[in-house]
Amino acid sequence: MGFSRKLALRNYLVEGLLILASLIIIVPLLMMVFGSFMTSTEVLRFTLDLPDKWMFSNYVRVFEEGGLGRAFLNGLLITGVSSVLNIILSSSASFILVRRETKLTNMLYLYFFMGLIAPMSTITTIRVVQWMGFYGSITSVIFIYAALNTAFSVFLYSGFIKSIPKALDEVAFIEGASMFDVFFRIVTPLILPVNATVAIMVFMAVWNDITIPLYFLTDSSDWTMPLSVYNFYGKYSRDWNLIFANLVLTSLPVLILYIFAQKYIVSGLTAGAVKG
Amino acid sequence: MKISKRLYPYYMIWPAFLVYSVFFVVPAIIGLYYSFTDWRLDREVIRFIGWDNFRTIFTDETLILALKNTIIFAIVTVIGKNLLGIALAIGLNMKLKTRNLLRAVFYSPSILSILVISIVFTPMLRTEGMINRMLSAIGLDPLTQAWLTDPSIVIWTIAAVSIWQHVGFQMAIYLAGLQSISKDYYEAATIDGAGPWRSFINITLPLLLPAININLMLTLIGGLKVFSEVFVLTGGGPGNASQVVGTIILRAFGEGSWGLGTAINTLLFAGVTLISIPLLIFMRRREVTE
Repeated sequence: MGFSRKLALRNYLVEGLLILASLIIIVPLLMMVFGSFMTSTEVLRFTLDLPDKWMFSNYVRVFEEGGLGRAFLNGLLITGVSSVLNIILSSSASFILVRRETKLTNMLYLYFFMGLIAPMSTITTIRVVQWMGFYGSITSVIFIYAALNTAFSVFLYSGFIKSIPKALDEVAFIEGASMFDVFFRIVTPLILPVNATVAIMVFMAVWNDITIPLYFLTDSSDWTMPLSVYNFYGKYSRDWNLIFANLVLTSLPVLILYIFAQKYIVSGLTAGAVKG
Repeated sequence: MKISKRLYPYYMIWPAFLVYSVFFVVPAIIGLYYSFTDWRLDREVIRFIGWDNFRTIFTDETLILALKNTIIFAIVTVIGKNLLGIALAIGLNMKLKTRNLLRAVFYSPSILSILVISIVFTPMLRTEGMINRMLSAIGLDPLTQAWLTDPSIVIWTIAAVSIWQHVGFQMAIYLAGLQSISKDYYEAATIDGAGPWRSFINITLPLLLPAININLMLTLIGGLKVFSEVFVLTGGGPGNASQVVGTIILRAFGEGSWGLGTAINTLLFAGVTLISIPLLIFMRRREVTE
């Protein structure tokens, strides 16, 4: 009795502390959301108040003046194509890397793994893209993102494919299935959750990034949302209500994705934590 | 052997290999060469100049400061994100009523763009901003600072913002690690008369080692590669007080000093690799298996 009471008291204490700490996270985010509905003078107080009058028109203005519609579609195109490309390339490569188990595949695994550690060499990547003749294009950015995320995806896929017994392939092969049958009809259905995890992780990383567009998208009509917002922030630095509205709109897609695909994110994290 | 050759053909690897090599590995390799040249925007002929770029890096005050800031940022964020991450994970692994909600709250900033968080924090960190006003309101006037304009603390402020944003990500990995530890160990320890502190040291920490390792690696590598936070919060300022390697490379690129910029990148590459690979090998050895 005394012990369990002490335990309950301890739990309440911890819970209280954590709720207090969570305010540190919530307050800035709420300030952004409330601020996005304020008038341009009201928002300058930068306090955590509800707006006097909810200005939904801020969001309309942001779309009209910030060219956000275009940026949204650019982001969707770049993020979507680079995730799909990354999934196709990494999953097929990982399948062979795991199943073949030769000296060559072990070396190739390490070769891909290096990409998790090494920083990208930005200026010379521009050089390479110039040589290939498509510097400044959305296509170049798609390929760069696919390459940058290869290491992480190969790491995730390899770990998962290892857990699928090879006997499954062998039975299918004996039954006369081809390699493509095995990959698409046996392995692919089993790694669907990993595909979801990779897709979401790549989507979030690419959607949120400003570095690559900053170096590689020379034409502002190709920009993705974060870079357009950054540009808007520089130009309209007095209209904080509009800046906040911009930030909310940039965050919405990842937030929605997070809410609907939470379990896939968690499984991606678990893969790293339980066996690194 | 022959069968596996036919069933698992190497050509399935080559597309990934090609894209990854062309857009990631080749630039890194040619970067080694360009680091030793005077490659510039306004120069037709590129000349080999030996170690000159590296001599410039280690004699230029701003560049040295950028290296120093990068290291400070990396160390502060590694410590902050991991200590707070473990603390939050342990708290949120207990049976609390609001546990799921709190987990979501702490994790949420890490899914947002660094750009979003940095812009939100800019007005809060002003001298008359919300953070200083709150500190004054609770009687902590001496703690108020010129967070982003005082050259001696600005890099620490940026590190704090980064910890604020990403601690939830570390927490999530630690939570996954904690949940994989069987309850039996704790029960056995309690029966043997071990208190919570001893259980933590002798059970939790050793079994959490895979999660600790991956988190240390992620935060360290991420810390050394820092760019966006500094770029948006201060642009490297005031003056050059918060420049880091990432922002210096952008500046060199903008000035057209591509050879020098590439040399700085090569230095970062060497630094990250030389620190991480021995660490990785060392950590692998210390992991225990259940």
